[in-house]
Amino acid sequence: MAAPEARSNGTEVGAIVKAVLTAMRVTFLNLFRKPVTVHYPDVERKYPDRYRGLLALVYEKDTGEEACIGCRLCEFVCPPAVIKVEMLKSEKRNYAKTFTLELYACEFCELCVQVCPTDAIVMTRSFDMPTTDRREMLLDKDRLHALGLQHQPSWATGNLLRDMQGPPKLARAEAHAKKEEAPKPGGAA
Amino acid sequence: MPAWIIPVIAPFIVLNVVVGLVTYVTLLERKFAARMQSRIGPYRVGPHGLLQPIADALKLMMKEDVVPTAADRGVFNLAPIVFLIPCMLIFATIPFAPGLGVADLNIGILFFMAVSSMEIVGLFMAGWGSNNKYALLSAMRAVNQIIAYDLPFIFSALVPVMLAGSLKMSDIAAAQSGLWFVFYPVIGQLAFIAFVISTLAAENRVPFDILEAESELVAGFRVEYSGMKFALIQLGEYAHVIGTSFLGALLFLGAWSGPGPEWMGPIWFLLKAMLLFLLVTWVRWSFVRIRVDQILALSWKLLLPSTLALLVATAIVVVWRYGGGA
Amino acid sequence: MAPPPLARVELDYSGGERLTMNMGPQHPSAHGVFRAILTLEGETVVGVDAVIGYLHRCHEKLAETLTYAQYPSIASKTDYVAAMTSEFAYVLAAEEIGKIEVPRRAQYLRVLTAELQRVASHLLWLGTWCMDMGGALGGGATIFLYCIRERELILDLFESLVGARLLYGFYQVGGVRYDIPSGWADSCRTTIDLIDQRIGEYEGLLEQNPFFLARAQGVGVISRALAEDVGIAGPLLRGSGVNFDLRRAAAYSSYQDFQFTVPTEIAGDCFARYRVRMAEFRESIRIVRQVLDGLPEGPISSRPGLKSVAQIRIPKGEAYARVEGPRGEVGCYLIADGSAKPYRMKWRGASFSNLAVLPHIIPGHKVADVVAIMGSVDPVFGEVDR
Repeated sequence: MAAPEARSNGTEVGAIVKAVLTAMRVTFLNLFRKPVTVHYPDVERKYPDRYRGLLALVYEKDTGEEACIGCRLCEFVCPPAVIKVEMLKSEKRNYAKTFTLELYACEFCELCVQVCPTDAIVMTRSFDMPTTDRREMLLDKDRLHALGLQHQPSWATGNLLRDMQGPPKLARAEAHAKKEEAPKPGGAA
Repeated sequence: MPAWIIPVIAPFIVLNVVVGLVTYVTLLERKFAARMQSRIGPYRVGPHGLLQPIADALKLMMKEDVVPTAADRGVFNLAPIVFLIPCMLIFATIPFAPGLGVADLNIGILFFMAVSSMEIVGLFMAGWGSNNKYALLSAMRAVNQIIAYDLPFIFSALVPVMLAGSLKMSDIAAAQSGLWFVFYPVIGQLAFIAFVISTLAAENRVPFDILEAESELVAGFRVEYSGMKFALIQLGEYAHVIGTSFLGALLFLGAWSGPGPEWMGPIWFLLKAMLLFLLVTWVRWSFVRIRVDQILALSWKLLLPSTLALLVATAIVVVWRYGGGA
Repeated sequence: MAPPPLARVELDYSGGERLTMNMGPQHPSAHGVFRAILTLEGETVVGVDAVIGYLHRCHEKLAETLTYAQYPSIASKTDYVAAMTSEFAYVLAAEEIGKIEVPRRAQYLRVLTAELQRVASHLLWLGTWCMDMGGALGGGATIFLYCIRERELILDLFESLVGARLLYGFYQVGGVRYDIPSGWADSCRTTIDLIDQRIGEYEGLLEQNPFFLARAQGVGVISRALAEDVGIAGPLLRGSGVNFDLRRAAAYSSYQDFQFTVPTEIAGDCFARYRVRMAEFRESIRIVRQVLDGLPEGPISSRPGLKSVAQIRIPKGEAYARVEGPRGEVGCYLIADGSAKPYRMKWRGASFSNLAVLPHIIPGHKVADVVAIMGSVDPVFGEVDR
């Protein structure tokens, strides 16, 4: 099971020399390539459109009101259960009375964004929230709205993500067209 | 000037220059290695990282000095010093220009070889005194390896000695005024290659750094050292590397000969030594390491017989060309 | 109580003395948190005692408390290096019980990301293995940085697709969550062409290198009988001559539509496993190109976008779904009880089963070979400890 020992006949030495020079050539050539270092924080690399950054609450574009209706869907879908919402009922529409998000435990999985019916919660294109105290990362509604104004939101909002998976009408229409007589597939469609 | 001034001042100057050189050589190595790896080395501390070695030195001075409870205190504390002294002593014999050296002994090369082999004592003391199985394992490997590679090191260094006919370093440098020994047909190049390989191993540089083997033995014999003692060990290691680079430049690359006026001599010497150092660094960052039994096999079975044969061949050449004198 | 007497290392070196050394959970090359208690005689290892469990995070119990919609993003965290593999196994299991059809475009996208994930994972394997063998401050680090540089390109691709670089949440029961944005296919092609070329460079750098061959050939030989007996999978199995790949043997998610070979080597040593993985790079790149050329139009999920957390209910049943991950067979055994959460979920971790081979192959080697063997086994401890 031991490895073969270094041999010393002439051909072997030739192979060793050739291999050594090849390896050294590769590193030498790399000496002249441009380094891949990005000089953060002076220079930031370009973040893509769908970047999952900090979470934020946004206002509706046309009316300027809070988009969140306090439906608590995000609270139910969150895997580590970091969102806590209390609903405030009002005559025309509901609001969120309190909305807390524990960013230090957040997984950044974007499920809350995906379920939101009013595109109220979004992820932004920045991750920049350095802090020395974890309690500062317990975001309440005001801070979440402030983050929404401060950072640029990513491309993904709830309706966009849901539409990307095939608009429901189209999927159901196709299914009905194909399987007119066949029984319904298992589970809810 | 009283006669005792020069023997006191000269070593002081040389030691300080060497320590300064060693600290900045670490920066040179880091930047060079970084560029080979598509990144930039130290960049923030000072313009382009020029103050990084100073920051590192200050950091090491401020660190807590930890001595393991069950360690052999005397041996543990003495080891870095015993390791450092031979590594600094080798600079005593190197002449940086004709007549400019601390002690240009008649047996310069012999002194260099003998003293540089003594660092193994400090190394083993460090491994033993740490009371740590990793350190002990590494120290035992070190003894094995350095003993195995000192002989080819000496033999390959003896080739220029025979060609020049003297053990005195300035004589060897002067003998290269016509042709640098590295350009000497066949035996010069072979001796140079054997010298580089043996120094890599004798200094525990990759691919022969099984001694430290960061991914296996986590810094080997140095694992229990922190703070200034660690700094001393680092200093000793790099000083040894620089010392053998200077030796190599002297033996093979013509020491201070180069175009330009007389006073450019030491600068050329420095440049050649740095070139050799960069060669060693280039090899370091290009290869994976080989196992200790393979290292030893390489030395005893390949390098030692070849350098011995090379020495015999050089003797024949010398007798044939210079008629047996010197 | 008086403190225990100070332990001094007694070494009566008469040759037969055995030394017990801990390659502890904190070690630069333990690939995570892994403790190997080695018994040494001189430099030779005579016994290995593997201790795991340092990264146990109760995934299987957690799955019982999370719905089928919520768990896939957590599943990433088992094998965090190749995160999509675990998600894949979980959603396949759920779909098998619920008999949920996955649209063809979603199947192709799953194959695409799985193969890209395999390339990224193997890049990390190559980098860390060479770093283990070459030293973090030596030639190994050079190859490590080159491989990481290439892996970053793939992670950038994932980032523009999903938004996250390492842990995704891309899969969902019934399909996938995201579709490819415009221009992604072209940048994907450019990236894999670049990686194809760079892999050639690394092969040239390593394969003729006598130092590398001396460290990898003849080391850690897994005989074919042992391989079939002990229950390993993936490149370890294929490096020992067993031609078994789940993408062929039990094709899932339209793998049967693609042309690719399954690389197999017979030597069974570290070098054979290295060759298998290098060939797998090329095969994965082939598959990615075929997917991009033949990507059908259509919906990416047979379940319309997630509207509520309890939306996906799987009827009673149980299934075991297996995926060919970069490390071997990742399996998910799911027992569903009709509600939105599974009754029981069990992971078959590829690395967990692969680690079982260590006590058979390490004894007889030197200490330095232990890291080479561990690297070629390529464990990820998120998968081992779950």
